[in-house]
Amino acid sequence: MSNATTQRISVRDAIRQALDEEMARDERVFVIGEEVAEYQGAYKVTKGLLQKYGAQRVVDTPISEGSFTGLAIGAAMTGLRPVVEFMSWNFSFVAADQIISNAAKTYYMTGGRYPVPIVLRGPNGAAAQVSCQHSHCVEALYANLPGLIVIAPSNSYDSKGLLKSAIRNNNPVLFLENEMLYGDEMEIPVEEYLVPIGKAQIIRPGAHVTLVAHSRMVKACIEVAAQCARQGIDVELIDLRTIKPLDLPTLIASVQKTHCCVLVEEGHYFAGISAEIACALQQACFDYLDHPIERVCQRETPMPYSRVLEAETIPTVGRILDAVERAVRRS
Amino acid sequence: MVAQLGSEPLRASLRQMLAIRHFEIRGEAAYQQGKAGGFFHAYIGQEAIATAAVAAMGPDNWWVTSYRCHGYALLLGATARECMAELYGRATGNAKGRGGSMHLYTDKLLGGMGIVGGQIPVGVGAGFAIKYFNQREKVSVCVMGDGAVAQGTFHESLNMAALWNLPVVFVIENNLWGMGTAVERAVSVPNLAETKAPSFGMEGFVFDGSDFFNCYAGFHHVHQRVLETQRPVLVECLAERFRGHSISDPATYRSKEHLQRLEARDPIFLFKDQLIAEGLLTQSEFEAMDKEERERVLDAMRFADESPWPDPATLEQGVYAP
Repeated sequence: MSNATTQRISVRDAIRQALDEEMARDERVFVIGEEVAEYQGAYKVTKGLLQKYGAQRVVDTPISEGSFTGLAIGAAMTGLRPVVEFMSWNFSFVAADQIISNAAKTYYMTGGRYPVPIVLRGPNGAAAQVSCQHSHCVEALYANLPGLIVIAPSNSYDSKGLLKSAIRNNNPVLFLENEMLYGDEMEIPVEEYLVPIGKAQIIRPGAHVTLVAHSRMVKACIEVAAQCARQGIDVELIDLRTIKPLDLPTLIASVQKTHCCVLVEEGHYFAGISAEIACALQQACFDYLDHPIERVCQRETPMPYSRVLEAETIPTVGRILDAVERAVRRS
Repeated sequence: MVAQLGSEPLRASLRQMLAIRHFEIRGEAAYQQGKAGGFFHAYIGQEAIATAAVAAMGPDNWWVTSYRCHGYALLLGATARECMAELYGRATGNAKGRGGSMHLYTDKLLGGMGIVGGQIPVGVGAGFAIKYFNQREKVSVCVMGDGAVAQGTFHESLNMAALWNLPVVFVIENNLWGMGTAVERAVSVPNLAETKAPSFGMEGFVFDGSDFFNCYAGFHHVHQRVLETQRPVLVECLAERFRGHSISDPATYRSKEHLQRLEARDPIFLFKDQLIAEGLLTQSEFEAMDKEERERVLDAMRFADESPWPDPATLEQGVYAP
């Protein structure tokens, strides 16, 4: 259909479209990272960009995460708008000093003299049996830092619209993708659109329990909500989309309606994103809650290799269902 | 070279060195009086390097350095008043009282960065932007101490700058000490620039960091080289710092005799004596200049003292750019 207003597109292609559109729109935008150009991206997200924009704007780097991240920060401070690809967010730990000491702090520390308009993006969290040094969820580590924006979309529509907003934002944005979602397809508009940073989305309205997740865990929660519906439990499912700044008004309004809340994240329990949300919700909704807030997170172990153990430590549909049933039953 | 530079620019450079020296001496005093807090890393003994670098290459480049940054800020457009007010943590400070001694900036100076070696890739990024925008008259000057040579970012950054032909002048200010660890106890080879530069396919240069003329001639040469070749270079300037690493370091690892020998090669007196010998300056003119620069810093201290504190209501403002 030549006059189609929507397109069926994978998360991978949605991210590439966002990069392509923003590079076409603004010559200051460039992509830099390992294997982004000639190899066409370790996960093929940047496929075709080298051919379209050339080697000056699609830059293959040596394996030097610390310094290519620092280079991008310096470029951002001197007039460019870099998009850095981490082949995996696990490798960002090598660049942590640049992200934490330089990207996060420079705007404030310079008294507002130097903004750092930079996007750092790549797959986050566990994939399939890649063991503990390639499976980390970084959002709780980095969201602790004022000055950073942290985004973790769950689908093609949000991936495209939020990445475009991130590239136009004048702050360091950490854009967390998920390898297990790259192939997921969705119908999205052909026409250009943006998704605002800092707005959660109610994926499914419901009356009995508020279920909150982000990134890959949204997918598990959609399955949970469907199973709950068959049992007569009406779940309101919220996709955070942006982790920092957190859309508390949407969460508070939902919990005031359902009186019951379950928080799900792929990362660990201790000092997790859901711990932060639980604290904020009990402060704002103490008198509305009929039951302590439940959390379903990754267990407190490094990620094991064996698929049996891996499945056991990541929040599963079964574990989330148990938590929802526990919460609703007690309410 | 004296004839080529002319009397006025040379006297102006000497004045700048005095301005830095007085700023550091009074800054230390302010710290000891409790007016300034945190860390304080004096540039005393190294003034000729930054002054000659800015004079020879011109201010209109990108510059970035470590936490030992007061001299560069003063040379690149920050006033003594705003820098002193920053040390005092006042609203009128260079970074509104948010950065302190280690974090000073101008529209050409990207910092003032606090982690050893953390500024090196940032300087390479400025070189990347210069190339991206095809600004062929500009270079990025990326300054670090000898301690940074042992950091991973040094090797990664020099590799990328050389790999991509970026116009970066890397400057190691070798003051011989990484805090209390002598450079030969931290780096496996001597002669930093000469040994490190070839491994990145770069030219390496060594200047006498106490000698303004040597630094000026050297920076002039490397600046031309970088502009011509659009390739990075690695410069090492030797100048042992007179003070401890920071104000809390009494530097007991050096003998009194050693320090006396150092002060005999004080870059300001060396430069002054050369100018007097060339007939470009008299001792009384020098003393007048010295007094004026001392007065300027004393004025900066009064300004800082009388400046308002940052309004606590502004604490959470400006964390994010609009």
